[in-house]
Amino acid sequence: MSGQNNNTKILLITTMISSYPGANTVGQARLQYSPGTYIIRVPDPVVFPESFYMRCFEKGIDGIIIMSSGSDCPYEGAYRRLSERVGRVYNRMKESGIDPSCLKLTTICTVCKAAFLKEINEMQANVIKARSTQKESAA
Amino acid sequence: MEKQDNLDNINQPEEVRVGVYVCHCGGNISDVVDTKAVVEAASKHPNVKIARDYVFMCSDPGQKLIIDDIRENNINRVVVSACSPTLHETTFRKALRRAELNPYLYEHINIREQDSWVHKGDHEGATAKAIRLTMAGVEKIARQDPLEPIVVNAEGHVVVIGAGVAGMRAALALSRRGLGVTLIEKSAQMGGRTRELDTVYPTEEKAADIIAQLEKAVRDAKVDVRLNSEVEAIEGFIGNFEILIKSADSKTAKARAGAIIMATGFNHYVPYEGEFGYRQSPEVLTLPEFNKLLTELPPSQKLTYKGREIRSIGFIHCVGSRQTEGIHQPQPDGKVNDYCSRVCCTSALHTIHRTLDRFPDLHIYDLYKDIRTYGRGHEDYYERASKRGVLFFRYTDDGLPVFTPPQKDKTATLTVKDVLTWNEEVTIPVDMVVLVTGMMPRNIANLITMLKLPIGADRFLQEVHPKLRPVELANNGILVAGTCQGPMDITECSSAAGAAAAKVSILLSKDTIEMDPFVARVDTARCDGCQLCLAECEYKGALTMAENRAKVNPALCAGCGSCVAVCPTRAINVAGWTLDQFDAMIDAIGAEETESELVPA
Repeated sequence: MSGQNNNTKILLITTMISSYPGANTVGQARLQYSPGTYIIRVPDPVVFPESFYMRCFEKGIDGIIIMSSGSDCPYEGAYRRLSERVGRVYNRMKESGIDPSCLKLTTICTVCKAAFLKEINEMQANVIKARSTQKESAA
Repeated sequence: MEKQDNLDNINQPEEVRVGVYVCHCGGNISDVVDTKAVVEAASKHPNVKIARDYVFMCSDPGQKLIIDDIRENNINRVVVSACSPTLHETTFRKALRRAELNPYLYEHINIREQDSWVHKGDHEGATAKAIRLTMAGVEKIARQDPLEPIVVNAEGHVVVIGAGVAGMRAALALSRRGLGVTLIEKSAQMGGRTRELDTVYPTEEKAADIIAQLEKAVRDAKVDVRLNSEVEAIEGFIGNFEILIKSADSKTAKARAGAIIMATGFNHYVPYEGEFGYRQSPEVLTLPEFNKLLTELPPSQKLTYKGREIRSIGFIHCVGSRQTEGIHQPQPDGKVNDYCSRVCCTSALHTIHRTLDRFPDLHIYDLYKDIRTYGRGHEDYYERASKRGVLFFRYTDDGLPVFTPPQKDKTATLTVKDVLTWNEEVTIPVDMVVLVTGMMPRNIANLITMLKLPIGADRFLQEVHPKLRPVELANNGILVAGTCQGPMDITECSSAAGAAAAKVSILLSKDTIEMDPFVARVDTARCDGCQLCLAECEYKGALTMAENRAKVNPALCAGCGSCVAVCPTRAINVAGWTLDQFDAMIDAIGAEETESELVPA
């Protein structure tokens, strides 16, 4: 899947120890995906408050995939806190009229090539669908 | 305007002068990304004073470009857009250090693995992405303070907890490298679970000989061995742990250590009452129980057990391992053991050979899910077992073997749907059943609580990363060796112990330890003393209050950032990864320019 990105901007929040090397593995395999994907790396996504995600949507990000280390997270209690926080972000998204499918918390490891691509493709589809629903509502 | 306000908030008396360097990677990048366009776009940023592209930025001439610009053009922040930071982030930080610029005033942007290599057919899209990512890097580094590595004093002494093979090997290796070692063992002897064995695969050496050799070496190396002792309390942090050791006679002693190696071992899975007849029928034993029986059996022509001659034995693999939810009974925590215990296939086959060596007329039936004889020389045990007449039957979870205890005039039987014969139901008369049980994590709840150790979904201690940092825990200065980390055999335990000892030796090679500065940091001017961050921190002593302000102990902080998200004033941040920096990056990525506006035709 290359080229056609429908001008979507998808933010991939990756962990330095797990999903960031996973994204590199996808690159080393020369697997293709949309250039409308922007990868940032963090020690752990638990660092972000709810307001960060809402601000991303305000600033032009269409979809966010949090690629965490899941239950393999090396930081004590961090994944539980992250998943609880994402739950609260969903509520804020609904209150703000943003389709909750435009945010996803998932787990990607250093070799999850297929899952990495699947998440991007699904998020693109979600973003496009959310846009179309929004247009219909506006009309 | 907003960007300028953000910049004003941080302590930067000097003008921010960013140098941007875009690598061609010999065509790996520049064949897809228009590097000139990236340079041109970066040049327009008010803080970017120099932007260049070059064929190989990582080469000596490439690095020299950066060093010269720092020295001659007063560049004080550097962004390199190139390959993955995992390859060359350190290279460029060192270049900054050589130019006498703080090495943390550097941002590495990945436009190869995550751009040119994955968007080959879309040059415009890949170039626009490279521009946005590079601009995000500029925004981030423009908000970066100089950072210094965290330096703590280091005790040249190590505490190893557990004196099984892994603990002994680690202690020995550390001692031979000149470090002081205290080896703490709960039981009265060194050797751990290996002491339960007669011979070991694949070398067929006597386990007792291996332990005796190791024990002698450990004693000769002047390791401080504390048998019948347990860890009562641990305080401190990397370089400076203080361990209170309590012996069985309630005497206490203190040890100071720069690092700790966990080598606490495993427990055998114990089948529940009735699992394949266990504890209900005397004919059913676990593999460790059968091995003990075999070792203690006096020389004899016949295998007898409880006064009965044993002519046939059925081995059932994967008891307590590779369990499936809904089929197997869960453990007290509600979870089944879905992991493979790895060593039990070869261990069972090794025992089968031991048995046949002594009683060649025995009939042996082996009921398995998969035979996983993965190690060097292990497969040989499987092949030889077939040649010696062992009959193999393969079962699946939806057709688990059924044990029927002996009736009046009939022996016990095992009934199995054999996958190898297209699910033919086979009933096998057996005089004895051996359950090939797997490994469970040992109960070390007190240590887990004291040290806040991370455990995985399988309840074993969890390393930071299985490939990148395989013997380190997220807790600085605490490492793992052996089966406390997961099922492994003696060879693997020895390797893990060697790796942990090598890591510790490097760590404690000097009087001080230098660590990356990426831990929580408090801006006391912003902190209002609300203490919300304290409730988020899982690392004891990492975050405290001092003069009504949050205070971080950098040596104890893991740098996860849990505290950051709850701070209402953004007073606490992970150094080098602040929320203001991330916001600025998002602004750059989300900027409204279209691809065609960003990339000149």
